[in-house]
Amino acid sequence: MRELFARIRVRYRYPLIIMRAMVIADFKLRYQASFLGYLWTLLRPLAIFSILYVVFVRFLRLGAGIPYYPVYLLFGIVIWGFFTETTSQALVALVKRADLLRKIAFPRYVVVVSIGAATFISFCLNLLVITLFMLLLSVPLRLEVMWLPFLFLELAVLAVSVAFFVSALYVRFRDLDYIWEVTMEAAFFLTPIVYPLALVNDQNPTAARILILNPMAQIIQDARYVLVSDQALTISQLYDSAWIRAVPIGITVAVSVASVAYFRRRSASFAEEA
Amino acid sequence: MTEPIVEVRSLSKDFLLPHLRQTTLKGRALRLFRQARTIELQHALRDITFDIPRGEFLGVVGRNGSGKSTLLMILAGIYAPTRGTVAVRGKLVPFIELGVGFHPELTGRENVYLNGALLGFSRAEVDEMYDDIVAFAELEESMDQKLKNYSSGMKVRIAFSLATRAKAEVLLIDEVLAVGDATFQRKCFEHFRTLKKSDTTIVLVSHDMDAVREFCDRVLLIDDSRIVAEGSADVVATRYTELLGEA
Repeated sequence: MRELFARIRVRYRYPLIIMRAMVIADFKLRYQASFLGYLWTLLRPLAIFSILYVVFVRFLRLGAGIPYYPVYLLFGIVIWGFFTETTSQALVALVKRADLLRKIAFPRYVVVVSIGAATFISFCLNLLVITLFMLLLSVPLRLEVMWLPFLFLELAVLAVSVAFFVSALYVRFRDLDYIWEVTMEAAFFLTPIVYPLALVNDQNPTAARILILNPMAQIIQDARYVLVSDQALTISQLYDSAWIRAVPIGITVAVSVASVAYFRRRSASFAEEA
Repeated sequence: MTEPIVEVRSLSKDFLLPHLRQTTLKGRALRLFRQARTIELQHALRDITFDIPRGEFLGVVGRNGSGKSTLLMILAGIYAPTRGTVAVRGKLVPFIELGVGFHPELTGRENVYLNGALLGFSRAEVDEMYDDIVAFAELEESMDQKLKNYSSGMKVRIAFSLATRAKAEVLLIDEVLAVGDATFQRKCFEHFRTLKKSDTTIVLVSHDMDAVREFCDRVLLIDDSRIVAEGSADVVATRYTELLGEA
């Protein structure tokens, strides 16, 4: 057992050293030039949040039935933001670092995973803002909150897997960044982020039952349910069958297996093609 | 007879010519309606076979475009061989270029840590040798300036003083001597002499026949993607000079 640990330590020593250095350099570069520094990480989702809050909550009165709707809305935006940041930064990452790939042989997955690590740190900083909001609005904590780490794990696995796939694909297909931007735009509205899923369920139950099978929808709704409000409609309320409830997790696992396989198969030629 | 530290067997490398590769989904979709084009291959290396015994200082020479840099990239594990095998038995550090990963917007200090990581040093290890590196590069005063404000000579000094710390059994060196002033080149050569005395195996790709004659135990001459001569530095360097004369 100890020997196994020792072998793992030796094997991942170099990847971990590079990853750490890349994340540190990335953070320094991103924030050194701006006056507000690290605050930008927090201000971005807050800015989006205020616009959506004014339009959808104040003007359109969405989410009237859900307590603490502002926190509910912000939490969804922050989770979605982590997914889009990770995938769209990773998309161009191999090509952006082509110079490095051609000079030194290090495991190529480090490039993608270090982006995932950096965006996850920003995500955690955003969670601090959510905690602050919860304190301000005195949202009660429930026991179910213990499920949150598992949901974040599912989220991280999904985001990094998709990141692996799009980054490897972009090496081949250089118009993917435009396609991905549009896809993310569409996916934002096909995921119940700004509108409550319950509202869709009232109008068209079939649509709600299809939307919730998307792993991002399942994660966002479950996370809201355990942290913010038991009025968030989750997959468990829409389906009785345990098999169907497992579909989003099944999709996440299938996507990660396929993405990692594709990335590994392609990674030998990144240096030539990126 | 001990095992050679590097073993290359019938190694070939082909490149797809870039303008023939489909690089957009749109292009790929349009191609479905057209006749498939014949793909043109560029043979960068053909059927290369050689061994490097432990501790040898091997030179690789050849004209521009002969394939010698491609060979180095494959030895470094950066390119995958198209056919054939490469076995390296020991830790290999490539210096395809000095200062890999250097970023102009980071300070000298931050770049030392970044480049150090790429050479395989943890932060703690860089901490330990940091003062020595800076002293060797003679840049004590400018470490907190951004790298973009450094002269190219300063950059090379920092990069080189890091490179000399790398612990490797096999070192690949590609033309790094071409940069830097006379003093710096002398430092490089001194470092090579120390390496030669230690048990490090070195592969040097160079156009500088004086350096090749002085350091290399054995030299490979690559021309038109094949090994055309192999032997002592004097013989191969002369052959190379003749080859340049013919062209």
